[in-house]
Amino acid sequence: MFCPGASALRHIGLGRLEGLDVRERMQTSTGAGGERPAAGRPRRGASCPNPSLAVCARGLSKHYIHPWTRRTTRGLEDLSLDVARGEVLGLLGPNGAGKTTTLKILTGLLKATRGRAWLLGEPVEETASRRGLGFLPEQPYFYDYLNGIEYLELVARLSGLQAQVASERAAHWLARVGLGERPRLVLRKYSKGMLQRLGLAAALVHDPDLLILDEPMSGLDPFGRRDVRELIFEQRERGVTVLFSSHILPDVEMLCDRVAILLDGRLTRVATVGELVGDGRQAVEIRCAGGALLEIPQRWAGRVSRVERAGEAVIRIEDESLLQEALAWLVRSGVEVHAVTPQRPTLETLFMAAAEAEAERRTA
Amino acid sequence: MSPAALVHPRGRRMLTAWLAALSLGAAACALADLSWRGLPGPRPLEELAYYPSGKALGPATLGHAETAADLAWLRAVQYYGEHRTTDNRFERMAHVFDILTSLSPSFVPAYVFGGFALAQEGRDFAAAERLMLKGLGQNPTSGELAFQLGFLYFVRPGGRDLARAAQFFEQASLQPDAPPQAARFAAYARQHSGDLAMAYALWTRVAETSPNRYLREMAQREMTRIREAVQRGRRDMVVRRLTTPAVLWQSPVPATPESQPGPAGSRPAGGAKSGQDGGRAVR
Amino acid sequence: MIPLLVARNTFREATRDRLVAGVVVAGLVLLAATQVVSPLALGEGRRLTVDLGLTGISFLGLLVVLLAGTSLVAKEVERRTIYNLLSRPITRPAYLVGKWAGLSAALWSVAGLLGLALWALVAVGGAAGHAPALLEAVYLAGLELTVVTALAVMFSALSTPVLSALYTLGFYVVGQWSYDLRGLAEKAPDQLRVLLSALANLVPNLPLFNMRTLAAEGLVTTPLHLALATAYALVYVGCVLCLATAAFESRDFK
Repeated sequence: MFCPGASALRHIGLGRLEGLDVRERMQTSTGAGGERPAAGRPRRGASCPNPSLAVCARGLSKHYIHPWTRRTTRGLEDLSLDVARGEVLGLLGPNGAGKTTTLKILTGLLKATRGRAWLLGEPVEETASRRGLGFLPEQPYFYDYLNGIEYLELVARLSGLQAQVASERAAHWLARVGLGERPRLVLRKYSKGMLQRLGLAAALVHDPDLLILDEPMSGLDPFGRRDVRELIFEQRERGVTVLFSSHILPDVEMLCDRVAILLDGRLTRVATVGELVGDGRQAVEIRCAGGALLEIPQRWAGRVSRVERAGEAVIRIEDESLLQEALAWLVRSGVEVHAVTPQRPTLETLFMAAAEAEAERRTA
Repeated sequence: MSPAALVHPRGRRMLTAWLAALSLGAAACALADLSWRGLPGPRPLEELAYYPSGKALGPATLGHAETAADLAWLRAVQYYGEHRTTDNRFERMAHVFDILTSLSPSFVPAYVFGGFALAQEGRDFAAAERLMLKGLGQNPTSGELAFQLGFLYFVRPGGRDLARAAQFFEQASLQPDAPPQAARFAAYARQHSGDLAMAYALWTRVAETSPNRYLREMAQREMTRIREAVQRGRRDMVVRRLTTPAVLWQSPVPATPESQPGPAGSRPAGGAKSGQDGGRAVR
Repeated sequence: MIPLLVARNTFREATRDRLVAGVVVAGLVLLAATQVVSPLALGEGRRLTVDLGLTGISFLGLLVVLLAGTSLVAKEVERRTIYNLLSRPITRPAYLVGKWAGLSAALWSVAGLLGLALWALVAVGGAAGHAPALLEAVYLAGLELTVVTALAVMFSALSTPVLSALYTLGFYVVGQWSYDLRGLAEKAPDQLRVLLSALANLVPNLPLFNMRTLAAEGLVTTPLHLALATAYALVYVGCVLCLATAAFESRDFK
């Protein structure tokens, strides 16, 4: 991942947002026992700080040095993250933020320039760390000349299952992802959606304890996305840890216990969805008729406003504590109230706000 | 690699891989050297220096010199056939056979065919002799080649070289794949070249070693005749002046099915010849 | 165990690919062609058949190595198929060995099939007794292909398909001149001698696997030759795969 302009980025530690340090957030929300991540380069050969965690990353950085110009591009900068067992964590971020880089470092496909990581208690450099791992890469490709069942059997056996068990599981999962009708179809003939589903099956065929999914919803139609959501829910019920990256915010909102936001290679925020979404104050909109001539009382200036929208007057109340008062005033004024709608800030708005804040901080 | 990296599992694996590679590489070098020195193998060419001949072609065939030789053989046969039926001019034949035999030095029939084609149709006895001697140089234990070379000297157009013929017939008779008639041809050639002592010795050997009763009797007869002639001082009784072979086939044979004997019929690979020169039939 | 799984998969991929089937057909066509041409060879038809057949096996096998073998790893990296495998609990060396073994098995199958066809032709021509010589020649040709496959796998793990094909071909060509280089090295002045010897040892010693001269006459070679060739092939392949592993371990898959 190349981040244009990232070379101008100053190293400012783990990032601060809205007065709350990320480390503090992690301590409160993950229950990591108040352990502070090691600053700078950790001692080599250190064992996992907390083996009960599904994923443990400390100070992961990935720098790319161009072989000829010797320019350094920072793909990932000092990322530290804990994922508890059984939790579902979403990695959010725009393209090029470093989501895929992070996942590849965790699965052993990339070597981190600095920092260490552990999966299920094992260091990522050891193959043992991948024993309980199911990985779905972005845009999965497969062998052209195998068919679905052969491929699933192969990966099941590579993940350590015995031949007989592998066959059964392969057949089961192929059917489970909706490809069971044509098990002998060669992969060359699969559509993009079918490939994505096969990739999911391949990640799940050996019943892993940790699922790492890179953009699992990409290439799927709404039915497919719903199926994937159900699958993830199912796995969570079984106690499987799920770490997935996405830039489809509604899915993340629905599925994740916590969300980690990556921007330009840095982890800017980790919090529960509830915390993030519940940060903002609830606003309320009241749609009514006949309120065009109403004067907003002075005492509410700044907290109540009126807009005309599609022939209706919409009274917007920023502070929901004023709701009852405002409603009473409207009714007294003879206005016909049509609807009262709470405006919950979505993850999207918060995401945009975080991005803006980050951009501001960079220019500051 | 820093010491810290050595502790790192990946660094350890890399180091192990490098060490294993180095030791295996050393073993491979040793084995290759052993094969180079110890095995009698196909050693097509010793030098990469460029020679304007078949020697330069060998490396270009990338180990498939035999196949290239076969294709050259086909070409040579075609060349012979084409010119035999048209203009009877075989200027490039020596070069073609030289290439062919450089590519495949142990391909005996090529020397034989080439030798006779050069000597007779090609009318270039010197080239034929060179080719056959090259063949013998590469295949010193080939009785077949020695015999054919002897025969070539025996039927040399313009004048038989009986001494050399006998020399090579003798050499042929000593080889493991000696044609059965080599010994008595040697005796015959010696006899008529005037070297009666040698001829007598050779006839003696035939008389003692030939499995054929008729041939043994024939040998005995010749030995008797030599003894008598020497006693009577009449060498001319046993040393006969053989006729001079002429160059065969002086006019091109038209390519019609009836008149052309065809290459397969007139040139069997290294075997008997229907004697068309003067002197007695040799089979 | 894991190498076997990867090998079986690679074998399947290689044999289901039309390339290998095409090569077998081409080989059979070549053998048929030798029968058409052999009357022109003045009685040397059997020699021609054997020579062309063995040459065909070697060159067609080389073609498969250059086309399929060099993209073996590189294509998987390019198309990211490799992510699915390397994110499993398998080591990279196991993966590479499996790849080599799978393609080698496919090549042995091709050589075996064509060798059998060759023997059938020769037997029909009356020389069924040439079987041992042919068997040995095909065995050595198979060993040669195995060695070249290892080189292809190594280059494929480091580079793109096209470049690794070029490197492999280069090593093959110079490898055929290994004995010539050694001969030259013996006669060369000191500085050049070291260079030439190093080069001769670096490239695979391919003339060691060449008994086509003997096979053309139906002659067998010595057990020493076979033993040396087998040992050398194993050792060289091992060395090359270790180097491939060393390079592959530190490779990042962006």
